[in-house]
Amino acid sequence: MAAALIFDDAIDVSLVPHLYDMSPDHTGMLFMRSVPGDVLVLSWLFPRASRWILDRCGIRGNEGVSLLNKSDDDEEFDEDEAEAAMDSDSESPNGIGSVDVPDRNVYCIDLRDHTDPKVYLDEIDRIAKEKSVQTVDLMQWIQGTPKPEQLQRYLEPEKQLAAMRTDGSEHPEAAHDPVKRRWYPVIDYDRCTNCLECLDFCLFGVYGIDKLDRILVEQQDSCKKGCPACSRVCPENAIVFPGHKTPAIAGAEGDVSGLKIDLSKLFGAPSAVDIAVRERDVELVADGRDAVGASIGLEKRQARENPRDELDDLIDGLDDLDL
Amino acid sequence: MSDQLVFMMGEYEARFPTDRQYCSNHLYLKEDSAREGSGGKVYQVGFTAYSVRLLQDVYFLDWSIDPNSEVREKQEIGEIESSKALSTLYAPFQGKVLDFNEALLDDPSTINTDSYGNGWLFRFETSAALLSPDEYIKVLEDGWEDTQRMIKGQLN
Repeated sequence: MAAALIFDDAIDVSLVPHLYDMSPDHTGMLFMRSVPGDVLVLSWLFPRASRWILDRCGIRGNEGVSLLNKSDDDEEFDEDEAEAAMDSDSESPNGIGSVDVPDRNVYCIDLRDHTDPKVYLDEIDRIAKEKSVQTVDLMQWIQGTPKPEQLQRYLEPEKQLAAMRTDGSEHPEAAHDPVKRRWYPVIDYDRCTNCLECLDFCLFGVYGIDKLDRILVEQQDSCKKGCPACSRVCPENAIVFPGHKTPAIAGAEGDVSGLKIDLSKLFGAPSAVDIAVRERDVELVADGRDAVGASIGLEKRQARENPRDELDDLIDGLDDLDL
Repeated sequence: MSDQLVFMMGEYEARFPTDRQYCSNHLYLKEDSAREGSGGKVYQVGFTAYSVRLLQDVYFLDWSIDPNSEVREKQEIGEIESSKALSTLYAPFQGKVLDFNEALLDDPSTINTDSYGNGWLFRFETSAALLSPDEYIKVLEDGWEDTQRMIKGQLN
């Protein structure tokens, strides 16, 4: 596919290591950050996962809509299901969204959906054509009042990238090290409501708060390999572990894992919170710490199960009194 | 067949023999008097008519544990897939899974044709308190609305 795309004048192609495994200062990421226009990312990840990994690394844009996001092979996929899928695709009304989103599109396409490369080449061609109509906007932007560095970035991304490489803030050798497999949560801010339950639940210091008081995956590498407990606790299913075997945790759209009915609940599957508590305890014990069961980090959720009563109102009312 | 109780799943009459006991994750446990357990009674465990009706045509069954494994309640022990559904399978209680019905591994369709007889799944030793047929019917009655909602929820 890359070979085919190199000969297309409308497209610049680059191969980078696995998105999830690259650190933000890896040259592959630096290159992607230097790309000024629309970006189309092909990876073996669910589009939600790619999109929010890129967002986290400062490669932001509006969500580009690819026509390939569902495999056409599913014959039973009728219109009702398609509609339902569309509904579940739409972001949560309470999602806090991303910040500083530039006016461009980022398309994320999952290479696992189709086996025929032509399907992807056709779609890339379609998107490129669609965008070439809109270059008028881009020209207006250039003729407007771009800052000099913006103009430079647009005209000479490679040169700027070279400058970033030699500015001394990173070790070139380190950046060329083979990328190690990593494991950490990726937050989908279109779904995240900043309820901070993950921050309360994780006892390994992975989560933190940024300057805008928004939840942030602060210490990616403090995360325990294989443990997706925070994702199970998240009420909005906004935490993605792209490497997890369960599609819902790896960033599949919606809540449905396939076309078949999952009867596991009926046959005794423990609840997501039970599993999360157990997974966390296993990691705590592995670290030489004590298991905590459900006693820590679930208070908010437990409180919510009981309906509010007058005592709750009274106590909350105390805060309003300026004593 | 011996006496049985009936639970109506919509139009479908699910039948439950009264010569055995049950558990809330929709398996029956029939005492195997030929086998003597060291840590409790030995039972042949299989899917109830309720489970079979929801699963429909089973074509894949796989166990993730070895024979003679101690299991805790709700521990994952295997997987099942049918034309309409799939599920992970869980131990009904704390106990010991003694052995599996080997014939099913070659042809799981006996689960559909003779679940209460040759379609049994595994032999299980436990001292847990089981549900009587009447108690199981009560579980079905209480859960039927939720079950329908869960299935419809997944279809939407």
